[in-house]
Amino acid sequence: MTVETKGLTKYYWMGKEKVVALDGVDLKIEEGEFISIVGPSGSGKSTLLNILGCLDSPTKGKVFLDGAQVDYRNKRSLVILRRKFLGFVFQTFNLIPALNAVENVEYPMYFNKPLKSKSERKEKAMKLLALVGLEKRANHLPSELSGGELQRVAIARAFANGPKLILADEPTGNLDSVTGRSILDLLTRLNNEEKMTIIMVTHDFESAKRMGTVIRILDGRIQEQER
Amino acid sequence: MMELFLLAGRQLRRKKLRVFLIVLGIAIGVAAVIGVTALGEGIRVQAVEQIKASHDLTTVEVSAGAEAGNVTLITESKIKAIKQEENVLFVAPYVKDSYVTQNNTYLAVKGVTPEYRGIHSNLQLEQGNWFDESTHSNYTQIVLGYDVAKRLAVTEDLGVGDEFGAKIRLYGEEGPPRDKSTVVKIVGILESAGDEHDNQVFVGITEAMEMDEKDAYDGLLVKVDDPAFVASVREKIEEIGLNAQSAQDVIDEVNRLMVAVTLVLGFFSGISLVVGALMVVNTMIISVYERTREIGLSKALGASDLDIMKMFLAECLIIGVMGGILGDLLGIGFSVMIDLVGKPFLVSTLGGELGASLQAGSITAITPSILAVGFAISLVLSIVSGLYPARRAARLSPLDALRQI
Ligand SMILES: Nc1ncnc2c1ncn2[C@@H]1O[C@H](COP(=O)(O)OP(=O)(O)OP(=O)(O)O)[C@@H](O)[C@H]1O
Ligand SMILES: [Mg+2]
Repeated sequence: MTVETKGLTKYYWMGKEKVVALDGVDLKIEEGEFISIVGPSGSGKSTLLNILGCLDSPTKGKVFLDGAQVDYRNKRSLVILRRKFLGFVFQTFNLIPALNAVENVEYPMYFNKPLKSKSERKEKAMKLLALVGLEKRANHLPSELSGGELQRVAIARAFANGPKLILADEPTGNLDSVTGRSILDLLTRLNNEEKMTIIMVTHDFESAKRMGTVIRILDGRIQEQER
Repeated sequence: MMELFLLAGRQLRRKKLRVFLIVLGIAIGVAAVIGVTALGEGIRVQAVEQIKASHDLTTVEVSAGAEAGNVTLITESKIKAIKQEENVLFVAPYVKDSYVTQNNTYLAVKGVTPEYRGIHSNLQLEQGNWFDESTHSNYTQIVLGYDVAKRLAVTEDLGVGDEFGAKIRLYGEEGPPRDKSTVVKIVGILESAGDEHDNQVFVGITEAMEMDEKDAYDGLLVKVDDPAFVASVREKIEEIGLNAQSAQDVIDEVNRLMVAVTLVLGFFSGISLVVGALMVVNTMIISVYERTREIGLSKALGASDLDIMKMFLAECLIIGVMGGILGDLLGIGFSVMIDLVGKPFLVSTLGGELGASLQAGSITAITPSILAVGFAISLVLSIVSGLYPARRAARLSPLDALRQI
């Protein structure tokens, strides 16, 4: 999926005080790219990701996904975008505690009507778990898994509906550096194999540089886009 | 669809105690409604049974019709029309007159046919015979009801075989009533019939109509072959302008009354259901708070507002089903208890015939429809109570929900 933004701006109002989270961001991301966004805390990384992920709406500016402008006022179209084209990976994993690993991976498929039969869904979920190397943990509850394993399940879940864009906000933020590297390796591998675009926010600049394009952001503005 | 409920079941299993308490709360409310309704229904059934036992359900009682000032009399042609109706076995017309003895004792007289005695099978002779209308004599043959016979024996020393002079009072269309003298002979005396017939004097209908110079009957009993057709026969009779009544009217009256009483009692016992409903609202709101992050996550993963709403309502539905089943079971237990504890009490306070009649059967009656209504109440209650929390969950903004700790 190609991603393009034009003059993307986001203000937050704290009482009468205006907080500028994004200040005219112009981006152009090609199909299949692995983009890392780095920058100091409070620079607007999460805000950008949330807007691209249709979880938040911009104050000004435009976003184009695969060339089509996103209409942030049309709730229904946002739901469809999230459901069919986007996948999220969170810093805090966000697995559903009541469901085991494979059920967590199946969960988004449930909202995507074309995947009708239960067995079809389960089969696909098992495949995705195998892809992240966790087929043996399929029946474990989240409380029975390690941090790295949780994030692998979460990544498998992000792939559930065959998304064209993966958005990951500090996916390694809650993991030790070794586990973090393995998660980054997994994302890189999936990016190569499955060919979808990945946009990731990270603090690990060194690793980011090795993986692809790095976008540096400061005070809501793009500093540089290096390949 | 199935998965929606599997998922909801999973969520509920994580808060077993809370769910159990709500289910119990709803079930007790449902059981109270079922118990009260079953009691009302039981008493209604008993009352109707009693009416059926003491009334002839295949007879329609016909009287002159008076609609909008128009009086329709029971004439020979009307009787012919009724006789030709389907399901009518036979008809028994009668006339009513009043005689006064020489000592000014008033006698209520009914001119009847043998068919009349066929319908009122409790009219049995104690002494003498029924009048023989084929033999013509210069006196009028009468049969006395049990109480009249006793009265006449005491006050006027009259018995079977005695003749006495009487005056028949005629009410013409206009002018003052006219008295006509006659001689009557007591040919028979009846056993106690246990109803209003004990105060009646009976004459042959032909003779009665000659005497009173009437050209229409005062009443008519229509015998129908099956109680199921009483209503339709009745309607036909009403169509030709006459007034018709049957024991079904009394039954309908009892039914109406008992249903109204049961509804009112059921409604007030249903107030306890409000507590159950508030418990559902409370638990579901807490659940929405607890699972705010999960809701945000679901939305990020592609859930629509409706999906979220359905998830919460599915949980409410499961609670409703469980509350309905448990409520029905408790309700059955409750009504058995009313029968065990309440019946002896009712029998002893009511006493007499009514009490004795209750003794026989059960004073509560659980019908499938009572159970179905109990179940439906639980279902509707939990869904309605879940609507607000579910809507609240569905309306959360995904980002705000995800940010929540
Ligand atoms: N909901 C909000 N209300 C008000 N201000 C907000 C809100 N969300 C973000 N901000 C502000 O917008 C700015 C950008 O926040 P953002 O979360 O995008 O930063 P970030 O780059 O992701 O930081 P971090 O690396 O710490 O996660 C910050 O100054 C933050 O305080
Ligand atoms: Mg952030």
